[in-house]
Amino acid sequence: MTPEEQAAVYDLLDLRVRMMPGLRESAPGLHGFLTSAPEAERMSYSTRERISHVVRRLGIGARPDLVDAAASPADAIATALDLSTPPVPPPDIPAPADHAAAREQRIATPVLGYWLEQMATSPRRIEERLVWFWHDHFATSLRKVQIQYLMWQQHLTMRDHAIGSFADLLRAISRDPAMLFFLDGVQNQRDAVNENFGREAMELFTMGRGHFDESDVLATARSCTGWVVNVPGRRDRALPVAPWQSLFVPFRHDGGTKTLLGVTGRHDMDAALDIMLDHPATAETVAAKLYVELVGLRPDPATAARLGAAFRRDYRVMTLVEEIVADPVFLSDEAIRVRVRTPLEKAVGLVQGFATHPEAGRAVFAGLEAVRYVPLLPPNVAGFPSGPRLLGPHTLVHAFDFVMALRPDQPVPEAAEAFARLGVHDVSEQSLAVVAGADSAPARIALALTSPEYSLT
Amino acid sequence: MTDHSLSALPEGADCGLVTRRHFVAGLGATVAVVLAGVHGISIWGRNPHLALAAPPPGSFGPGAPGRTLVVVEMGGGNDGLNMVVPHAAGAYRDLRGELAVADPIDLDGEIGLHPALESLAARYPRHEVAIVEGVGYPDPDLSHFASMSTWWTGTPGAVGATGWLGRYLDGTVGATDPLAAITIGPGPSAAMVGDASFVVSIQDATGLAPRIPPWIDDMDELLGAWAGFAAAPVDSPALFGQVQRAIAATAAARERLGTALAGPAAAPLTDAPAGDARMDRRRRRPGTLAGSLDVAARLVTSGLAPRIVYVHGFGDFDTHQGQVGRHEALMADLDEAVDGFFTSVEAAGRAKDVVVMTTSEFGRRARSNGSGTDHGTASTHLLIGATVRGGRHGAPPDLGALQDGNLVHTVDYRSLYATVLTGWLGAAAADVLGADHETLPLFATRDRLPIGPR
Repeated sequence: MTPEEQAAVYDLLDLRVRMMPGLRESAPGLHGFLTSAPEAERMSYSTRERISHVVRRLGIGARPDLVDAAASPADAIATALDLSTPPVPPPDIPAPADHAAAREQRIATPVLGYWLEQMATSPRRIEERLVWFWHDHFATSLRKVQIQYLMWQQHLTMRDHAIGSFADLLRAISRDPAMLFFLDGVQNQRDAVNENFGREAMELFTMGRGHFDESDVLATARSCTGWVVNVPGRRDRALPVAPWQSLFVPFRHDGGTKTLLGVTGRHDMDAALDIMLDHPATAETVAAKLYVELVGLRPDPATAARLGAAFRRDYRVMTLVEEIVADPVFLSDEAIRVRVRTPLEKAVGLVQGFATHPEAGRAVFAGLEAVRYVPLLPPNVAGFPSGPRLLGPHTLVHAFDFVMALRPDQPVPEAAEAFARLGVHDVSEQSLAVVAGADSAPARIALALTSPEYSLT
Repeated sequence: MTDHSLSALPEGADCGLVTRRHFVAGLGATVAVVLAGVHGISIWGRNPHLALAAPPPGSFGPGAPGRTLVVVEMGGGNDGLNMVVPHAAGAYRDLRGELAVADPIDLDGEIGLHPALESLAARYPRHEVAIVEGVGYPDPDLSHFASMSTWWTGTPGAVGATGWLGRYLDGTVGATDPLAAITIGPGPSAAMVGDASFVVSIQDATGLAPRIPPWIDDMDELLGAWAGFAAAPVDSPALFGQVQRAIAATAAARERLGTALAGPAAAPLTDAPAGDARMDRRRRRPGTLAGSLDVAARLVTSGLAPRIVYVHGFGDFDTHQGQVGRHEALMADLDEAVDGFFTSVEAAGRAKDVVVMTTSEFGRRARSNGSGTDHGTASTHLLIGATVRGGRHGAPPDLGALQDGNLVHTVDYRSLYATVLTGWLGAAAADVLGADHETLPLFATRDRLPIGPR
């Protein structure tokens, strides 16, 4: 790919890039940052801010204890990538007996409560960042799937593969029951081919636009025919898989010859996915997307090509993460505070920084609901909004909602302390003065939470 | 450049005491600086792909003050063939099979409306509904995201560019009025993102009011303090400056917006006709078009007179499966929404000041996939209002001459835009779209189109 082609593919693939024009520029960094004078000289960030940058990019939220404990950015990176602590076992949620029971099952509290707690407290920081990244990448919404238990099962599948192999994750998600409902895979059969999954698999999950045409969409759709989900109580005949598992049913499959990306054969789902995984654009596109997630800037063409080529060899996610983090750009001034902090990151950071009441989870999710940024409810298959789109007035003012999670008896923090608890260490005089001007603890914290500094990450 | 934002804010209190009124007045001055002084630096970031600098406010003329365009974006790709049904074409039933609309409300012996569009069908003979058939663009792209981008930017294949309505706003009101452009839905629409203008986005009638705990006793004071983060903004396209400008504009818009949404102008919900509980419920429920257009009606009738209200993020028109029931529900929502909206604006005597226009990234595939329809190309769009020239426009695509199974467009979507820009918004289409496009006779003249059997 030429750099121009590559840029065009990123543009088309990734909504966040389009909605984030600021990313296209060489980041102007800290122009005018530490004073309010526009002509101020560009400043460099402090070591503590740099450590906080590492903590919040490689995990969710700027855990103040981790920022305080790290001796250096390198130390913070090592902590964030440390996976030696075993994961906390997920709650045991019983499978619903039948379809009607599944539609009625209300497990959002244990599911989202568990997830939020892991984001806020898990020592496996990078795993939580990746679980979120994959949810955003393979964005599946409960709004269409309707069955909370299947969203929970998909979440567990993401956890199983988040730090493993992208190839395994792609194969698992393609036959995941929630995905089969979300992109109509269960409707996709020999005599009634449904293109929904086939198109998005190529456009959003693997290669990205510019590498396939309409005949490839149809070929992928035909290859993926024949998958169903065993919904208990829905069928007369027992299926040879456990309830709520997916199953390949040969008589619904189109076993004919297809030509996909120039490869002709009697492809099934795995064959089609292998062809996509073999295409260099898949590795390069996914690697570049993870680079943007962690670094906040696009990789230059040479870096993108290098990361893609390496990723394509074995699709090991942690190897890719390590290579991205090793890029000097990751710790550079240009990368710091170059992303708009998401509502989820704002909320998790608040929970990590301040004492909360026992109903905090409910308050957090009410705040996320207000701005339609609830895990398991992405607005569409392209995932959650990002970039300056998150600076819309509605999203900005509803950041105040998260204050509902705080205990009312917080001690009044100094202005700098209010920021530091949120992982913000380099603060403009103006912003410090605004927070210092409030006299109650909740008002100070609310203002730090909605400051320009905390609005970026 | 007129400073609407300043003049609309309350006067400051006596000097000395820093009261909230004093602060708000000061904020007005700040906003004037923030929004006007950094012309060309959008809160959305300056766009390097844009070949030309942002047009200075007023360079496109004043536009059409007092008029509002309401855009209804049917995201996911609305099935135009089942909204305005070509029931006389034998190919329609062959292609659609069980998905074919069995009992459309006939308009002229050739086409009919989906049966859920009852009130639109009642408005059609009153010349209030323009049906534009065959709207699409050359070399259609069947990706949601590429096609949305085409519709948003007004340039097929363009990505990363400003939105067509954003450019209109840049060249008319610029940054002078933070309430000229309002999105109802999840975040500002990309169609409205310009290089200098500002888009207020709200979800529902609560406007821009956060939910804060009772132990923070003065929300206005808190939000007043919040605006202080932008008191001395960084004059830079960097994100930090963008956040400050967004805070300033939000703070400036908030109170006026709250007043407008609370105002008595819109028909109160309790005025819904007796027995119409279903509609009342829909209008109250955020996330439906009926709920969103109810908010739009309040804005239009409030005295704010926004230039553009853009409604998106309701429903899911991407009907790959389960289409019959899902599309019926969507059409019912559309019908109730439009009816409720016009009932409100008519009651307020504002019917001649507003036009509703639909958009959608594409129509659906002509042939059914068994339970739904996959992505398609050209589709039918509606323009509704007392000033439109009701009847049929464009030309229906030939169901017997599909291209790769898809309808071939007969009207370029930029013609629709050009018509609305010149005929309603008071701008030259070439200024906004970069070139002239054929316009359609969509706005009322004395010669009405024949309505009824042909």
